[in-house]
Amino acid sequence: MQADIPTTALLASNITVEFAGLRALDGVTIVINPGEILGLIGPNGSGKTTLINAITGQVPLATGQVTVAGDVMPLSAPRTVALSGVGRTFQIVRLFDQLTVSENVETAALAKGIKRKDARKIATEILQEFGMLSRAETIAANLNYGDKRRVEIARALAATPKFLLLDEPAAGMNESESQMLCKQLLELPKQRNLGILIIDHDMPLISRLCDRVHVIASGKTIAAGLIENVRKDPAVIEAYLGSSARQDA
Amino acid sequence: MSFLMNRHTLTVASLCGLLLMLVFISYAVDVRVFTRIATTLCINVVMVVGLQSFMGNTGILSFAHIGFMGVGAYTSALLTIPAQMRGMALPDLYPFMEGLSASPILAIFLGGIVAAVIAAAVSYPLMRLSDAAAVITSFALLVVLHTVMLHWSEVTNGPRTLFGLPAITSLPLTAIVAAGAIAVALMFKESRLGILARATRDDETAARAMGINTPRVRWLAFILSALLAGIGGGLWGHFVGSFSPKAFYLKETFVILGMLVIGGPGTITGAVLGVFIVTAAFESLRTLEVVLNSAQIFSGQVVGVTEIVLAFSMIAVLALRPGGLVPTREIGDAIVGLIRKRKG
Repeated sequence: MQADIPTTALLASNITVEFAGLRALDGVTIVINPGEILGLIGPNGSGKTTLINAITGQVPLATGQVTVAGDVMPLSAPRTVALSGVGRTFQIVRLFDQLTVSENVETAALAKGIKRKDARKIATEILQEFGMLSRAETIAANLNYGDKRRVEIARALAATPKFLLLDEPAAGMNESESQMLCKQLLELPKQRNLGILIIDHDMPLISRLCDRVHVIASGKTIAAGLIENVRKDPAVIEAYLGSSARQDA
Repeated sequence: MSFLMNRHTLTVASLCGLLLMLVFISYAVDVRVFTRIATTLCINVVMVVGLQSFMGNTGILSFAHIGFMGVGAYTSALLTIPAQMRGMALPDLYPFMEGLSASPILAIFLGGIVAAVIAAAVSYPLMRLSDAAAVITSFALLVVLHTVMLHWSEVTNGPRTLFGLPAITSLPLTAIVAAGAIAVALMFKESRLGILARATRDDETAARAMGINTPRVRWLAFILSALLAGIGGGLWGHFVGSFSPKAFYLKETFVILGMLVIGGPGTITGAVLGVFIVTAAFESLRTLEVVLNSAQIFSGQVVGVTEIVLAFSMIAVLALRPGGLVPTREIGDAIVGLIRKRKG
């Protein structure tokens, strides 16, 4: 299987994570290719966020390894992973609350060693792209939830990542905000040759954004592949999509 | 014109204007006590702004600050006590140190550099810690610095008073150094490192996920903080002329922290305002103590009112306004906001 994986991809192979003896992830292998949006779905508590935390070095691995564009990442080194080109957002928004929107976005560029003046320019461009430029000087804590989500994505993009891991980016957004976000996310892989992993419970959103999905339940991969095929997979229907999907199928 | 409208320039100009006003008032009233109070206030501005550079930007409370003030004061003393007084002031001084000498102004800045070098050497491992662990280790560092000052007789004269520092610290000098400290602290706050430090303060997990080298940015903020504390210590040493290690311990730590907490650790404006408010309150309460004691209203002596009021003020501020009186916006931001509002 690994022979077919392009060297430019992000490969998390055989990832096992344990918390005090509880196995949260059990030998999960996932590949994100540049220029694609991959959906990661599964029931609550299945280990989706833990997988992002494992890839980004924020939880220690019991087994497995993460390779970013051919480079093996050291264990539990979130900084190295970030500087290798992996950006992320969090399930519960984690902005720098006392910084302005612009400063929040600038920090990602500054962390990569970009000068303040250039970082500000990058932030301005991205905020314009996300329709947030008018709020650039607003303190992040004063934003509404949907705007906080957008700023978090903008911040991750300011580091010019090769891969972006989005943990429920549309959570808390209304329908129109979600639609707009969807449109913006669809543009990103083409514009930036960016590989995106997206976790969301909103199946219509996943269907619109992703060609491939990866499904995990109880910490194990139960299906992976094209969304049409996965939707028909009995294990997926049983574990995640439930009876309504069974009827649809 | 746009330079003048810059919010950072306005912040520095406003805060330095406050110091300038203090100097003018002092010269206008020409009362020695007022000049002494104003000079101490300016030294405290250097100290508190220095503490703000670390605590305000990283969100980590540091008890070690006053220890670095001591390092600066002793370094400056070693370099400036006149040769003819050294035998009496430092009877156990190492022979190789007997020839050390520098002008007082240079010695004050060298004191800051020595404090910064010591901070750089000892603090990096501590910068990996957060929350209670970071606070406790900073306290441990204060204890270490104090113990060294207390027992290194060859350099500090041990627990005994060290005397003979040339009294060169004047109000204009302290005001200039305080203005410089304000400008440096603001430049740091708005620099690449300052923003990264503030990001680690607001969310350490997100900062690490973005590739910020948290220990390094904290370490650099700590070094700057120690540099300013060392300079403040040198200025103070040359103001009082004699001191012992007890001048750099818990009581002084409490006062400096109180000033910053009341003013607002998140802003330089808050730090400066905190110094002005606490100094004014201290002096008023000291006067009240004197009046009460001279009038013999109570059977015993009234003592410690200033410390008790400071403690209650800190409790009140932390309970009612945890970010201090000026929590997030510098005075320059407020002025620019007002101007924009007026322009519509």
